[in-house]
Formats: sequence, structure tokens, C-alpha cells
Amino acid sequence: MYSEPVVKTSPLHALGKLGFMAGITALMGWSAYHFGLAPHALSVVAVCTFVAVICTTLFFWTHRVAVAFLGVAVLIGSRAMTLQGLLRATELDIILFLIGMMVIVGALKDLGFLTWIIQTIINKKRMTGTTFTVILCALSALLSSVIGEISSIVVVLALVFQVCDTLKVRATPFVLIAVLCTNIGSAATMLGNPVGIFIGNKAGFTFSQFLIGAMPVALVALAVTIIVVLLWYRKSIAEMSLKIEEHRKLRQGLGPLIRIPHRRGFFVLTVTVLIIAFHHQIENILGLTGAENTNAFLIITPLIIAGLLMIYRPQRARYYIEHEVEWWTLLFFMLLFAVAGGLQEQGVTRSLADKLAEITTGGPHALVPFVIGITSVGSAFVDNIVFVAAFKPVIQSLMEHSADYSVLWWALLFGACFGGNITVVGSTANIVALGLLEKRGHAHIAFLEWLKIGLVIGALTGVIAWGMLNVLEMPRPVGYPPGAQAVPPPPHATTPVPLPAK
Amino acid sequence: MLKSAPPPKTNLSLTSFFSADDILIHQEEVSRNQVIRLLLAHLANGHGIMEVDAYYNAIIERENASDTVVSNGIAIPHARLDDLQRPYVGVATSAQGIQFTEDQPPVHLILLVLIPRDQPGLYLQILRALANILRDRDAAKSVSQMKTPDEVMRFFERGGMVLPDYVCAADIMSDEFIALRDNDNLKTVIDCFIAKQITEIPVLDRDGDMSGIVRAGALLKVCLPEYLLWMSDLSPIVNFEPFTTILRNEQSTWLSDILLEDFAAVQMKAPAVSVAAEMTRHNASRCYVLNGKKLMGVINLPRFLNKVFRE
Repeated sequence: MYSEPVVKTSPLHALGKLGFMAGITALMGWSAYHFGLAPHALSVVAVCTFVAVICTTLFFWTHRVAVAFLGVAVLIGSRAMTLQGLLRATELDIILFLIGMMVIVGALKDLGFLTWIIQTIINKKRMTGTTFTVILCALSALLSSVIGEISSIVVVLALVFQVCDTLKVRATPFVLIAVLCTNIGSAATMLGNPVGIFIGNKAGFTFSQFLIGAMPVALVALAVTIIVVLLWYRKSIAEMSLKIEEHRKLRQGLGPLIRIPHRRGFFVLTVTVLIIAFHHQIENILGLTGAENTNAFLIITPLIIAGLLMIYRPQRARYYIEHEVEWWTLLFFMLLFAVAGGLQEQGVTRSLADKLAEITTGGPHALVPFVIGITSVGSAFVDNIVFVAAFKPVIQSLMEHSADYSVLWWALLFGACFGGNITVVGSTANIVALGLLEKRGHAHIAFLEWLKIGLVIGALTGVIAWGMLNVLEMPRPVGYPPGAQAVPPPPHATTPVPLPAK
Repeated sequence: MLKSAPPPKTNLSLTSFFSADDILIHQEEVSRNQVIRLLLAHLANGHGIMEVDAYYNAIIERENASDTVVSNGIAIPHARLDDLQRPYVGVATSAQGIQFTEDQPPVHLILLVLIPRDQPGLYLQILRALANILRDRDAAKSVSQMKTPDEVMRFFERGGMVLPDYVCAADIMSDEFIALRDNDNLKTVIDCFIAKQITEIPVLDRDGDMSGIVRAGALLKVCLPEYLLWMSDLSPIVNFEPFTTILRNEQSTWLSDILLEDFAAVQMKAPAVSVAAEMTRHNASRCYVLNGKKLMGVINLPRFLNKVFRE
């Protein structure tokens, strides 16, 4: 569990930001009204509330949960959203999935599996700076795609700090390398990022469809990133090679040499991934079909495994729930989904989708660079889940125009995950990494230092995603076979409530 | 390191706390307890202090807990008292000398100091004002040869003993400390921790400048990295397996592997309160007193608490 960094702001500075925030919120509300996206007072309230919450994550990061609470209260109090709509919009299925995965990761730590991974790399013979960097990149991407970006970055940075502390080399370049690859790897599976499970579940992709679609793009992006970082940080890598050689001459290793039992942890992880991978087949066997059961077994698998683990280790069960689950983050997600649900309930997202379909020439693929671009830039400054939550109902509505718009789910995924690399506040993994780096007393990464490499990697991987989405035949959600134009209603679609007269 | 603006100057003289009437000259033999009671009675007569017995008990209790012989035949018995409005100082000399403690030479000059409890720094300020006499080996003996209180008073006036505006770090530091060199190896560090029964040692570079500290806790962290502690089951390391690497390499590993460059330190002339601030800021139990970069002394938390709350 990581601590929330507290940023102290002078009252005048805070007042300035508050004024700016109010200005942006009012402008967006007026624009939505002016362009016909929010024709009624209540829909303007929904737009303003959503924009205010987004602005809070940008300007008052530490207050985001508090403002999301108030945002939900405003929506309910102003009748812009019903209580039933609120409960439906909180996406409890996603939240339960994430809770289950967090408990599993906690148990994996407990069982020594994650320690074993670090220990295996530290014990590796004939290590050089280059091999360490390549291993670091691969490990970051692989771990984040399996256990999630936040847990992955904690594990990978423990390895980075151990090696850098032992060798007395600057840890910052390797922290950056690890974070860049973590964000890229997090796009590869549904397990990698809250954005992944959200998109996968809301779009209706199965785990294997998601893997087939996302993995190739993530792999190419990772390969390009490895080449870039090997060149970008060649001096730091060469220095590490030199220090490793010096250490080797003194017959010193990179850390204590211990044999860690890993079979139980490996078994738990393998079983979890396998069941998740075959969830669709299991759903069919159990008769969990239809829109109301989309990905039902995918969602409950982490709960089953977590439940069994807590029975297996009853003395640690409470610890897993209280310390391994990021309640603060999950609560923010729920409230954010609810606030975004306000837009959907007021029909704002449907209007936006209609307008987009109307003005776009060149078909759905013409919107791909737009979605990747806006999500990347947005995710660079605001939590990426915010943009995904906002785009979800828009894409769901667009899917009613044509199933070809399903390519936008992928654009959204890659934009959100790859865009998180651009700035230091681009993703939760970045913020956790920065906090760990500062806590260990190593250094602070300046905004510009991050931006330079982040922008290069963000732009390159964004272009790769765009290119591959144009070339590859991306999987379509269940119920939308290739060439299908007759569109069934998307899962969880809601009917706008009747709007009061203007 | 704390940089604070110096407090306003007061230029209070030590002699402003007593007059010739508060000085007793003893040519005859007298005991420690007798001289303290005589001085108290004298102050009571001169200034109307009523609680002689209570004050006497407080002073003797303080003296028994830890003697107040400061150096070179001078003792400063004192007590912090609740119902005192201002400080009182009484002076006594003894030509024959008084045995305050068994293991120290006889005392010839006694300053009895009664301090209001809410002025914790005053005793230390008085000590600092007496710094010149404390350094002079013969001062106490020569004062004890004076025949009249006026002569003694003139001695103090001549000395120009002005109370400092505040107690500084150097006033409360201990200049006896153990230090390591930055080219020492881990074996030396571990030996030092064990032999001296301490858990923190300052490290000096070849110029004598302080370059950091080593802590026993940091040594443990090298042996037990954070990721090993993720496991709730410690059976893989139950036989101290992680320590074997250090054991094997302790002679070829420099102490720089566990050197911490972030530590609590103040300059000698910094107000003593900045010692507390630094220790709190760094969550440390020791503060190092520097002159520039040179290590001059150490103040540990018990010493600081004793100086402020008890002495």
C-alpha cells in the first residue's frame, strides 16, 4: 500500500487554481449547451460536475476523492442523476474484480513468489548493464500485464533499488525505464490496468480476444521502447556495467543469496491466469450467456481465488483486505464512474456520439488518431480512467451506428495506457514510482526530465498503435462479428431519463 | 541544518543576580550540606524567601542525584522551583575546601542558584557566563583566599560575566565521541557497534570533516532488503542466510555501503533549541555539532532532555 503524497499550496495559489477551474467548468458547460450536447439545465449540471472532477484531479490531486463525493451529491441533489442510476454507474463489477486481484497480489507477496522473482534476477550470473536493462523492461511489462501496474511497479522498483544501492549508481534512469515499460505492458491484458478490465468488460471482449488484440501492439511498442531506452540511457547503462564488473572482481553479488520457495505462489498465479484465460468457455459451460452475464466468470475468478486464499491463510485474511486493497483509489474510481454516468443518464454522451458520427468522414478509422491523441494527451495530465470513463458511453453509442466503431475501444486502451508515459502524473504507476524514489531518499525526478523521454516514448508508441490498428484486423466484442451492421444493444446501455422542459 | 535569526540581545550581567550581601566567606571547615543551608538561610534573610526547608530538600535531592561540581574547584548547586518569581544567586567561598563528592578535589567556590521552573535555559546561561572562570584552574582557589564579600564581588564584576542571550548547541554538547573514517570497512563498523554498545557512529573524511553516519539499523537493512520482508513466512532465512554475504565480504566492503548522508546536525553557535528541531525533523536520537564541517561534539536525546528538563 502506498501513501498519498500531500502537496502543500499557498492560499493565493490555491485560489488562483480554483478560479481557473471554475472558469474552465463554466466554459465547458456553456460550450456543451451552445453546441447542443447539453440542451437542458440538468445536462449542463452533469457536464459541469464531470469537468469539475476532472479539473480536481489535475489541480488538486489530493482532494480528488472529496470532490468526487461532492460531485455525486450535486448530481443526486439536482436531480441530474437518480439513485438507481448512481448505483448502476458505479461499475461495482469492475471494483470487485480489482479488489480480488489486489488480495491475490497481496497473497503472492506473502507466499514469497514476488521475492523469488527479484532474487532470481539478483542471482543471475554474467549480468551487465544492458542485460539488466532488458530484463528490467521485460519484467516490468510482463508483471504489469499479469498482476497490475501498481503492484508491478512496487516489485520492480524493489529490484532497481537493490541493484542501484548495491552498485552505488543513480537509480532515476532505471526507475524511468521500469515505469515506461510498466505502462506499456499494462495495456497487454485485461489484468494490467484498471482501464483494461473496464474497457474489456464494458465493450464485451473476452480475455482471449483482448489478449489477441492488445498483446501484439504492446509487444511492438515494448520492443521499440527497449531500443530507445538503451540508446537514451546508454551512459547510465555503461556505468552500471562498469560497477557490476568491479563488484564481480571483488566477488560481491548484487544482494543476499537465498533460496526462496516459489511453487505455491506460482501455482496460485498460474491457476488464476488460466481460469481467467478460459472464462468465456467456462461461462458457456455454466450457461452464463447473454448481455447480462457478459464476462461474469472473468469478474468472479479473482473473488474465488481470493476467497480460497483467505480460507487457506485465515490469520492473514484481514491483513489482505485492510492493507493490500487500495480502497482510496477504488473509491475514487467508483465515484468517478458515477459522475461519468451522470453524462450518460442525461444523454450528453449520446449526443456527442451522434455529433461525432455525423461530422466524421472516412469511417471509424478516421476517429482512431483523434481518440488516441486526445486520450494520450489527456491521460498525461489527468488519471487515464477519467477519459476512459468519459469515452465509454460515447463509444457504446457509436457502436449503435456501426460495429466498425469497436476499433475505438482499442484506440482508447492504447491512448490511455501509452499516454500515461508522457508526464510524471500520467498514471498511478508513475506517481507510486515517484513516491518510492523520494521515500528512499534517492532523488526527485523533475517534470522536464520525465517529459523529455516520456514524450518520445508516448509519441512513438501512440503512432505504433495507430499504425497497427489500421493494419491489423482487431477482434470485435462478443455479439459483433466482422461485417455485422445490425447492432444489438450494448451491454449495460441505459435509456436517458426524460428531461424537464427547458 | 537549522538557520534561525538570533534572539534580541539582553546583555544581562551575572552580577545583576546577586550583590555583596549575598556572599559568604568561610575560613573554617564546613560541609556541603551546611554551606547549602547557610547560603539558603542567608538568601532568605536578605530577600524574604520563605520556603527554606523545601528549597534545601530540593537542592540536596538534585545534588544526590548527580553532583554539580563543574570543574576546577567550582560547584553550582541549584534547583528549579515552582513558586519562585525570579532567579536568586548566592555565593560562598571556602578557603579550606569542601568535599562535594568523594572522587573529586575539594570545592572552593560555590554558586547556589535558585531558578524559576519556567526558565529552563537560565542555569545553562549562568554556566556559560562562568566559562572563563571554569577554564582557569586557579580561579576558585584565588577567590577563596579573598577576605571580604566586596573583594569577591569585584572579582565577578572584573570578569565582565555577561549571560549569553541564549544557550547554544556548544553549551550542551559532549566533546567526547567515537568516530570512524570513511575508508574503514564493514568489519571495523560492526566491531565498533558491538564493542561500544552503540547503534550510531559519525564518519569523518581524511580532512576530519563529517561525511555522514553509519547506523546499525542500516546494516540490518543491507542484510534484509525490503523485498525479503514481504514474506510472512521467514523459514527460508531462519538460519541467518541473508547475513552470510555480509559476513563473507565484511573486510572487502567499505562502510560507504551503509553511509547515510542525511543526519541531524547544527553549527556550534546555533541556539540549543535548534538541536531539538533537527532531531525532530530527522526523527533522530543524536544531533551532531559542527564548526563548519568539522565535528566538534555530539548531543544525544537523553543528554538534551537532562540539560533542558533536569539540570
